[in-house]
Amino acid sequence: MSQAIFEELVDVGVETEDAIDAIRQLGTRFEQAGFVKDTYVEAVTAREAEYPTGLQLEDMGICMPHTKGAHVNKPAVGVFKLKSPVTFSHMGDPDTKVQAELVFMMAILNPDEQLDLLQKVMKVFTNRQAMAEFKAAQSKQELLEVAKRYIDS
Amino acid sequence: MKRAKILCVCGSGTVSSAMVAGKLKEKLAEKGYDVATVESSPPGVESALSAGGFDLIACVSPVYEEFGVPKVSAVGMLTGMSEDKVIEDCIAILDAR
Repeated sequence: MSQAIFEELVDVGVETEDAIDAIRQLGTRFEQAGFVKDTYVEAVTAREAEYPTGLQLEDMGICMPHTKGAHVNKPAVGVFKLKSPVTFSHMGDPDTKVQAELVFMMAILNPDEQLDLLQKVMKVFTNRQAMAEFKAAQSKQELLEVAKRYIDS
Repeated sequence: MKRAKILCVCGSGTVSSAMVAGKLKEKLAEKGYDVATVESSPPGVESALSAGGFDLIACVSPVYEEFGVPKVSAVGMLTGMSEDKVIEDCIAILDAR
């Protein structure tokens, strides 16, 4: 399976003001690393406003902002641990708010071709043990190792 | 194996719905259903349904309108927290056909 986790797109202790700032900051990292075009940040922000991506898992809140196709150069999944939780709206019910601690930002080129990758990410969300390890990672290196183990293998 | 056709709906019409479609196929196959899935975003539901033959709509992002096809809230499959319930809801609808 091809690589989806990259060092430039994994980090801990990210300070952001709110959901829009989070998307802007993290999306810009994707752009600077060449994974997405300069239209990515705007596209993800617009999508989040209309169809939010917050998810309340058993032990924590997360979000999965993403877009696909035209804005993406190379597929990747970014994993970012926020310094303090940020409010995102829930995917299944936009009136419900989620305090997201972890952001799984995705750039998907072709969902049909990257279905394996998407299934892997979904397996992570539904795996309490895996999520506990993501949450416990203290350093960028640790988080990178956990992400590679669960998503890239 | 019994046949079923499910429309999976999420915001982008691709990423989250593809995730859920794959899971639904796998879990429903265990229950004896051979499921075909189509993905759509909420604005595309009406047009997707016009192809006909859908047994239910699995909603990851909410679909507020009624289309005469039973809806199941499927976001629990993404979080894993109510996966069994989502499958149960689907089976209830499919068995009642």
